[in-house]
Amino acid sequence: MLEGRRGAVVRVALLLAAIVVLPLVVRPVVASEIWIFSIAAMALNLIFGYTGMLSFGQATFFGLAAYTAGLLMIHWQAPLLVVLAAGTLVGALAAALIGYVCIQRVGVYFIMLTFGFNQMFYFIAYKWTSLTGGDDGLPGIPRPPLALGPLGIRLDTSVRYYVFVAAVFLLAFYAMKRVVDSPLGVIFQSIRENPGRAAAVGYDVKRYKWLAFTIAGGFTGLAGVLYSMMFGIVPLESISWIISGDIVFMVLIGGIGNLYGPLLGAAAFKWLSETVSIVWERWPLILGVALVLVVLFLRGGLVEAFARLREATAGRGAEA
Amino acid sequence: MKNVSRRRFLATTAAGTALLRAPALATAQAAELVMLGIWPFTGPFADVGPLLDRGMRLAIEEWGNKVLGRPIKYITRDSETKASAATRRMEEAIDSEGVKIVVGPWSSGVALACTEVSKRRKVFYYFSGGTEDIAGKRCHRYAFNWAASPYTAMHVVIDNYMKLNPTHKRWYLFVNDYAFGWSVEKYTREAGQRYGIEFAADRMPLGTREYSGFVSKAAAFKPDVLCLLNAGQDVIVSIREAHNFGLAPKVAIVNSWGIGTEDFLQLDPKTRENLWVGTNAYYGANTPVAKKMTEMYQAKYNAPPGYAPCAAYGMTRLTLRAIEKAKSAEPADIVRALENWETQDWPGRVWVNPKTHQTVRDYFLLRCKKSDQMKHQFDFADIVAVSGQPLMPDTINECKDIGAL
Amino acid sequence: MNLALLGGAVLNGLVTGMLYALMGVGLSLILGLLNIPNFAHGVLYAIGAYVLVSASKAFGFLGGAVAALAVVAVLGALIEWGGVRRLYRVHPDYILLLTFGLSLILTEAIILVWGPVGITFQPPALLAGAVDLGVTTYPKYRLLVMVVTGALVLACYLFVTRTRWGAIIRAGIEDKDMAAALGINIRRVFTLTFAAGTGLAGLGGALMAPVRGLLPTMGLDILPFAFVVVVLGGLGSLPGAILAGLLVGVVQSLMTAIWAPGADASVFALMTLGIIARPQGLLGQR
Repeated sequence: MLEGRRGAVVRVALLLAAIVVLPLVVRPVVASEIWIFSIAAMALNLIFGYTGMLSFGQATFFGLAAYTAGLLMIHWQAPLLVVLAAGTLVGALAAALIGYVCIQRVGVYFIMLTFGFNQMFYFIAYKWTSLTGGDDGLPGIPRPPLALGPLGIRLDTSVRYYVFVAAVFLLAFYAMKRVVDSPLGVIFQSIRENPGRAAAVGYDVKRYKWLAFTIAGGFTGLAGVLYSMMFGIVPLESISWIISGDIVFMVLIGGIGNLYGPLLGAAAFKWLSETVSIVWERWPLILGVALVLVVLFLRGGLVEAFARLREATAGRGAEA
Repeated sequence: MKNVSRRRFLATTAAGTALLRAPALATAQAAELVMLGIWPFTGPFADVGPLLDRGMRLAIEEWGNKVLGRPIKYITRDSETKASAATRRMEEAIDSEGVKIVVGPWSSGVALACTEVSKRRKVFYYFSGGTEDIAGKRCHRYAFNWAASPYTAMHVVIDNYMKLNPTHKRWYLFVNDYAFGWSVEKYTREAGQRYGIEFAADRMPLGTREYSGFVSKAAAFKPDVLCLLNAGQDVIVSIREAHNFGLAPKVAIVNSWGIGTEDFLQLDPKTRENLWVGTNAYYGANTPVAKKMTEMYQAKYNAPPGYAPCAAYGMTRLTLRAIEKAKSAEPADIVRALENWETQDWPGRVWVNPKTHQTVRDYFLLRCKKSDQMKHQFDFADIVAVSGQPLMPDTINECKDIGAL
Repeated sequence: MNLALLGGAVLNGLVTGMLYALMGVGLSLILGLLNIPNFAHGVLYAIGAYVLVSASKAFGFLGGAVAALAVVAVLGALIEWGGVRRLYRVHPDYILLLTFGLSLILTEAIILVWGPVGITFQPPALLAGAVDLGVTTYPKYRLLVMVVTGALVLACYLFVTRTRWGAIIRAGIEDKDMAAALGINIRRVFTLTFAAGTGLAGLGGALMAPVRGLLPTMGLDILPFAFVVVVLGGLGSLPGAILAGLLVGVVQSLMTAIWAPGADASVFALMTLGIIARPQGLLGQR
């Protein structure tokens, strides 16, 4: 029922249903965060799930875009759409520059370079307190209204902002789907499966890796901008490798190489951190256990888990 | 990969989340008054969280666990000393528990984030900290600062220290690089101008463990005083490292905005030699409220309270008194009751400045005793000075318009 | 900058540098032989420190340090045998993620066992206090740590380059399939190497505990630097890790003296420059 073109329609319908239902199930603030991190997780999925490069430094682009957005809004009262565009651009540009250096290497070196750059920017943000507020974060971020022609839609309540975030997410999702379904997406996947063969066939592997990295940086930047307006403050964590790690979690736990995997991962992660953290402070333990189990036994993540479940129950159904 | 699973996933998630999410507002008794203590239970101030919790709990218990006939529900949330976590948890408590009264956290930096939440959500907010911004640049009608203004505090420390040590004109500062450190450094330098003190400083992040480099630099400066404008364990580490390197006790250590008692308990008598501490609260304070609180605290916990529990106690107590005074627990009414109130409480005479919401009150300067001078195991220090002067001039206070309710 | 300050900074740099070298050597062994970036290296360093604190109550400082080495080495062996081993055939990325997950689990475990609050641990009374070196006064314990860590690092180097066991490890790093084909029980070598590498981290943690104090997240502080050292030194190169460790330690310390805000960022800038200028690392071959 979910196969083929009709399947695609059903999938989209389910996604829209999820968007409508989510703020009724969790607080709107948490629901917004789920879609924000879904965008960032989709971006990592593009470079890891599809192109085979594990980046442990996506927070660099997330944070740089968040700070850019924050500063533009505080000092220049920049309008919303300008800020969104600027953040996405900053993310993409930073990824283009950093990515150029990183993709010169593969494997561990690549991971360490992305991590190293993340650390470097983190420390710069930490120490450049006059610009970023350092450890205290950058406070006083407004939520500019959405100006659509003559209309100015206010976004000051959690619910209104959720609707906006969800709309931006849908656009981002559509864009990502286009990338993944395009010939570009196929090339990315071929690089993951066998870089040697891709090169042999005639593709400039490094260039395509760089392209994937840059595109992912743009998406991550977009997520960063949305995040900056969530709490009225850009916290230092936005650029910390903890967030880089969180995004890696979401992609792993959701299921890599699948367009919907990152969404499941983001939802699971944010839901866990919201509900469990109040009950048990040591909830990162559960996160660690989940990651270990996924890595050892269920590398397809939640997507694979539910696929297996479905097969198991379908099998039993057929027998009965 | 198959995707029909998503439907099942959504269904189970919805059910599960609905089960887990306590519909608190529905079941919460309307008569209950919820008070939130947002304290650091993890992170660089993890040791202070439980102390603050004790102080707030003590005040609420002393009040009979109810106010205006309503039972008090005291809840805590971990600030983690992270702006993102604290603001998120504060909003969550406001949404799910109906919180309208918030006390905490401990870090000035995190407080600046929390105060934004209190302003936006119009909840009553009490903080005790060294950043001038809570009652300055970021002031608003719902937020109050219990601690002495850093302007006053640094003057009390320096004026009284210099009175006793007029030749100590070379000061090396260790400053934690965030809102708290910046404020106390600014006013330390300002207060020192009058005496012609020569300052050199190093800034390091809160939670720095490696102080050897900084101690070496301080030693090379040949200071008369090593002035600690840092917080948390940084204070302990700096003091120990200064002794390890042979800098102290030759050179005096002045911990200008200190915890006092709980730090003293961690340091052995040798490392307390020539240690001076400026603090908002020392258990030896000679006020009836302080004495009673010390008695209660010591009976329960076998040690006297330091700045943290006294602050939590003091803020909670004043809030409860304000509620009684206003005959209402609505944030706007508590605010009006506190503003311009002159009364006696933990620090002695307190007055809440209505223009800035800064509490005008005494600050303490302590000088640690040598072990042979201690009359009992907790007799750590002499109170060398108690003063609420000088007051911060209105002209330099950056709170120009505290706004409407 | 005067001589006293310079002297102090260099000594501090050597102390941290020796620690970084020790961590780098352990990590380099694991990375070089097993091709695993061990993200749990930091938390294992932390566990070593905590084991010292607890064990020293019963066995004294020396006994505590030995206990730290032993406990962490055993833990490392268990991790390799129980988890890492299953992923050799899959992809190194997954091993990294496994160790990442483990680092979370173990950090929370530390908090569960020892609490979230930072602990300070005093060096043995014999080694308290400072020594006048003419140029500057310097704490005795730090000098000891520098010497002992240096000796350990040297011992590792000699072990790997001069002994038969070391030759086996080096053979494995060069070409593990060939080594296995020559009849070496490569699986046992893997487990023992992992245990040795992690054990070194645990010992490093124990030795540094009196210097830096303990915090459950102390592993997160040191991990990035350990990785920088390994990458800068050259994957799989022990002399590279040693050289890089000292370099990073001294640079960081000198920067603290000259311009403290830039100290940490400069380490990563150094790594980036190193990789761009000399991709195989200072002394690496791959």
